[in-house]
Amino acid sequence: MEFDLENPFENLHSDAVSYLFLIESDHTPSQNHSQTLKARDLDISVRRELISLISQLSCALDPVLSYLAINYLDRFLANQGILQPKPWVLRLIAVSCISLAVKMMRTEYPFTDVQALLNQSDGGIIFETQTIQRMEALILGALQWRMRSITPFSFVAFFIALMGLKDLPMGQVLKNRASEIIFKSQREIRLWGFKPSIIAASALLCASHELFPFQYPSFLKAISDSSYVNKESVEQCYKVIQDIAIEEEYSSALNGVSSSDTPINVLDHHFLSSESQKTNGITVANTIAVSSPLRDLKRRKITGCGCGGNNPTIHNSRIQFSHAKESEK
Amino acid sequence: MEKPGGGGVLSAKEAFEKLEKVGEGTYGKVYRAREKATGKIVALKKTRLHEDEEGVPPTTLREVSILRMLSRDPHVVRLMDVKQGQNKEGKTVLYLVFEYMDTDLKKFIRSFRQTGQTVPPQTIKSLMYQLCKGVAFCHGHGILHRDLKPHNLLMDPKTMMLKIADLGLARAFTVPIKKYTHEILTLWYRAPEVLLGATHYSMAVDIWSVGCIFAELVTKQALFPGDSELQQLLHIFRLLGTPNEDVWPGVSKLMNWHEYPQWNPQSLSTAVPSLDELGLDLLSQMLKYEPSKRISAKKAMEHAYFDDLDKRHL
Repeated sequence: MEFDLENPFENLHSDAVSYLFLIESDHTPSQNHSQTLKARDLDISVRRELISLISQLSCALDPVLSYLAINYLDRFLANQGILQPKPWVLRLIAVSCISLAVKMMRTEYPFTDVQALLNQSDGGIIFETQTIQRMEALILGALQWRMRSITPFSFVAFFIALMGLKDLPMGQVLKNRASEIIFKSQREIRLWGFKPSIIAASALLCASHELFPFQYPSFLKAISDSSYVNKESVEQCYKVIQDIAIEEEYSSALNGVSSSDTPINVLDHHFLSSESQKTNGITVANTIAVSSPLRDLKRRKITGCGCGGNNPTIHNSRIQFSHAKESEK
Repeated sequence: MEKPGGGGVLSAKEAFEKLEKVGEGTYGKVYRAREKATGKIVALKKTRLHEDEEGVPPTTLREVSILRMLSRDPHVVRLMDVKQGQNKEGKTVLYLVFEYMDTDLKKFIRSFRQTGQTVPPQTIKSLMYQLCKGVAFCHGHGILHRDLKPHNLLMDPKTMMLKIADLGLARAFTVPIKKYTHEILTLWYRAPEVLLGATHYSMAVDIWSVGCIFAELVTKQALFPGDSELQQLLHIFRLLGTPNEDVWPGVSKLMNWHEYPQWNPQSLSTAVPSLDELGLDLLSQMLKYEPSKRISAKKAMEHAYFDDLDKRHL
């Protein structure tokens, strides 16, 4: 059966969600590796470079596909590290992660077309099929063939139901915004050690605080009361995600100018295409429309943004979270 | 060429010592083997990949990934590892490393048949409950087995624990149809809608198989031992009556439907005389003609037939 980020089992019944919480650690870079990686600046920069490569190479495809490819990359790095960060090795890893993601997710798009696309380059390296296959085998071994990744997307519907918003328009709005946040936060190294379910819960809380501040306390309680969720982890993760969301808001307000440390909007194909053309001379094929619930993500409109270092929004957000936590005692 | 991250990962041949070939499964050879590093006994299933320029086929990737996700349920045989290697001809071979189980339900039933003893009723009840529980777990995750039969139900004879094997392999590996005896045997547990050419399977096909296995545990003989698809259908019709539009709406529109001899339904107790009333009721609900009317595995676990079973360790 074809793979779907929101439902790794495709036909998961509601009473089987507990199994996802049980096995999600198998699909997450481990805490130990996370600490190790953070201590190695070289690997952090290599990861950033690899993510840029994957985004460039796969921007003509479904953005969900590049999300999955980056998931494979992170789990591969956690398991193997990169001993020799040579440009051709990095590119081979990126190409192979995308190739595996294509196999998991898509049947209607001819595989040979994907291969041709991946091998486009301006005088760059073109890999033989067998070379990619050997790298694929290496990645499969490192990931222990657990290719139906359990990601934050696997848990969003569960938490929305927990918040009492299942089948309500408000739930759909929250889901869209939370999904947008999850996409952007994938690049953030500080989230590496958090379980996918914790990231999902934190993204939803961040979205609800942003969009529905008056209901936020009851949403926080609903999620905190869940036996599947560790409150301390959610609090820590929430802070990181809040920072990411605020950075995004801030950079968007500056006419989309983006520093190298700011998460690039994976969904902004035009921006990526322009960037690719300018810096690498790669001609990127037009985006092919593929129906996917995650493709319907919409950017939240920004009505205004405070200036200066002490952003009032940041201040209020932190107080709000602390207040909610105090009220639980 | 330098291999990135080229730490020493043992190939399947280096990591395992093959002790004996224990079977030719539907999808490849099966070996009892010892993992050299740990001394652990495992079952190795060796399967040729049908490769083209794509490398690992997407269907293999998707289905093996499901097996890796299901490996924490106590009633599914655990896929512990996957090794990719090459055979003597340079073709890619996949080794699936499963936990080893000493016997299967087919051998278990045969041993009782040979000694002339019946399987103790509480043993039947325990095995059936575990089977329903394992199937409920798979169906709860949207996964059909499609080839449930006693040979695919592995057992530990000491603990009487039962586990489902070969899950998902029907779609992971495309194998040319073989005309072997064991291929014919798989007809015995096949649901009538499959035999009649229905193209859209539902989880009910597995429940039919569970019902056939249930009856076989009681009588030690296959319930519907057909040796061709037509004979398989006729076996079913003789006992349950030839279906019509009244008992099974839509049946006459199925692709393989023909005119068949008209039989009236017989009581299930004629086929399974020693099963008690509650067991017969459960069995009848598993063998409903209309797939949507068949009991689900989860509901079966709640059936009164299992009320007096001690389920604490199951």
